[in-house]
Amino acid sequence: MEQTHGGCVTRRKMLQAGIAAAAVGAIGCKRQGAPPGVRGKAPVAILRAASYQEDLLDRLRRGAEACGLDARGKRVLLKPNLVECERGGVIHTQAEVLAAAVALFERLGAAEVRVGEGPGHRRDAWFLAEEAGYRTAIPGFDARFTDLNRDDVERVGPFAGEREIYLARTALAADLVVSVARMKTHHWAGVTLSMKNLFGVVPGALYGWPKNYLHQVGIARSAAGLYRLFPRSFAIVDGIVGMEGNGPVQGRPRGCGVVVMGPDLAAVDATACRVMGINPDKIEYLQLAGVGERQIEQRGETIASVRTPFALTPQFQHVRLA
Amino acid sequence: MSTCVPSRLARIEAAQNADGGWGYFPGKESWLEPTVYALLALREEARAAFEKGWRLVGSWEAGAGGWRACGRVAEPHWATSLVVTLYGAMGIHDAALERGTRWLLASRGAETRAVARLAQWLSPRTVEFDATLSGWPWQTGTSSWVEPTAHALMALGRVKGCVGTVGIEERIGMGKRMLLDRRCHDGGWNYGNRRVLGADLPSQPETTALALMALDGDASIRWGEALDHVERLGRESASPLARAWLGACLLQYRGVRPAWGTAEPPDRGDILVDAVESISWNRLMAAA
Repeated sequence: MEQTHGGCVTRRKMLQAGIAAAAVGAIGCKRQGAPPGVRGKAPVAILRAASYQEDLLDRLRRGAEACGLDARGKRVLLKPNLVECERGGVIHTQAEVLAAAVALFERLGAAEVRVGEGPGHRRDAWFLAEEAGYRTAIPGFDARFTDLNRDDVERVGPFAGEREIYLARTALAADLVVSVARMKTHHWAGVTLSMKNLFGVVPGALYGWPKNYLHQVGIARSAAGLYRLFPRSFAIVDGIVGMEGNGPVQGRPRGCGVVVMGPDLAAVDATACRVMGINPDKIEYLQLAGVGERQIEQRGETIASVRTPFALTPQFQHVRLA
Repeated sequence: MSTCVPSRLARIEAAQNADGGWGYFPGKESWLEPTVYALLALREEARAAFEKGWRLVGSWEAGAGGWRACGRVAEPHWATSLVVTLYGAMGIHDAALERGTRWLLASRGAETRAVARLAQWLSPRTVEFDATLSGWPWQTGTSSWVEPTAHALMALGRVKGCVGTVGIEERIGMGKRMLLDRRCHDGGWNYGNRRVLGADLPSQPETTALALMALDGDASIRWGEALDHVERLGRESASPLARAWLGACLLQYRGVRPAWGTAEPPDRGDILVDAVESISWNRLMAAA
């Protein structure tokens, strides 16, 4: 009996290894490179912020300056992570960070600053925004917010090797899409940062709750595909308190005390990975985005000075930085 | 303060688009899902609005059977289930219903494919479920989830006696077993699974209500406990949409919508909330 069981496990392991090898081969073949909007060195700023009570607008302003962000006259869409929400928890982008981002882009002279999200699991985006404290923290929130799951849609493409995908019109109409994500580990993708956060512009009304289509296409391919569809974007990753372990929903809080920001989402995510003690070259969606070939110009704090290793699930131990 | 049904119906009628359909929110383009919910709510109240919306739904029939998500999307959509339910409620039997029902019966989750079953055999604790039981996906080619499965079961249960398609009872039986297999440890339903990577998932209000509505009469459910769980979720959740579905579930089984006893959240003009709160689910489901 034991031998049979043992043999079964061995076959499983062999097949798992074969599938993993095939997956690695596929990654090598399908690297997609940076989106058309990204040229030359990608600036990424790391700012310290020990808590959400600090002057976050000042931190974001310094980060924007360091990255040369110009938002004058632009219609800006801020896209937080509201995949789910637990009051006082760390699943979603913290309200204080989103509020500071709204204030930042208004000060930078944006023509319009909207907030939009299409949550991945729960249908009632307005309720999640309320639970997350966005209505209280952000002036005029009701007039700014769009439920991207139930927005009008437009067809765009190609997408991740597929002919097309439908996306929320509000996101496509923005001059600048700002992914305001929380720094989290992810039990299928390794990490979820600014690129994976773009899943929220895919309309649930068409693709469902969750957007299983993106998993069928492949999480990594989908994240890289969306990255290419939004060349006019900017990333703000809230790592003041992140999530480690079994993220993106059931992990534990992990204080990291930083905000990472920049105009190239892949470069920002790669930097955030290094802060988390994770090798970005081993994160499939970053490989597909060609991050290994990107020159990143680090500004603000050094990675070494803020590095905070995040706990990983057993499946992702191999992505830890040596 | 709860909004009364006549006010909700008036609001739905006022939000009808020029093409006869409804968007998810006033001013948005028409989609099949809010349009059918609006029609289910208005069918006995506003004939002119209903006829206009019904014509739009008819124009959205997809070539292969089923109905499209909206005017911009050509492929049939999971909300075909809602159209079949609407047909059943209206007592109309025509060729479009037969085609739509056949499309629905042919639709199944990708998790029962050989490759997916192999992956599950290789790593059974990754997502714990019975891969022989297929429900319904949100979109063709993807996996089964609780909400589209619940809607498909309600739709097929509504029309099983009057369409000439074979295999309905067997498909309903499998879909119900799939839902029971996905039931969470706490007695409700998450949006898809009960246990992932060794961790129990919590039930969610909307999916718990819908799964129980679809499992109507199932002998394996302890209904008293299940409905108490529904009431508890309603007291704990301030989501108008969650409360609308939880109320619909309690209306179906207990004949009354509960007063939740806590403040209503701000009104967003969500057509689904107004419609689900206005539909007489006890009459609709009892007539199946």
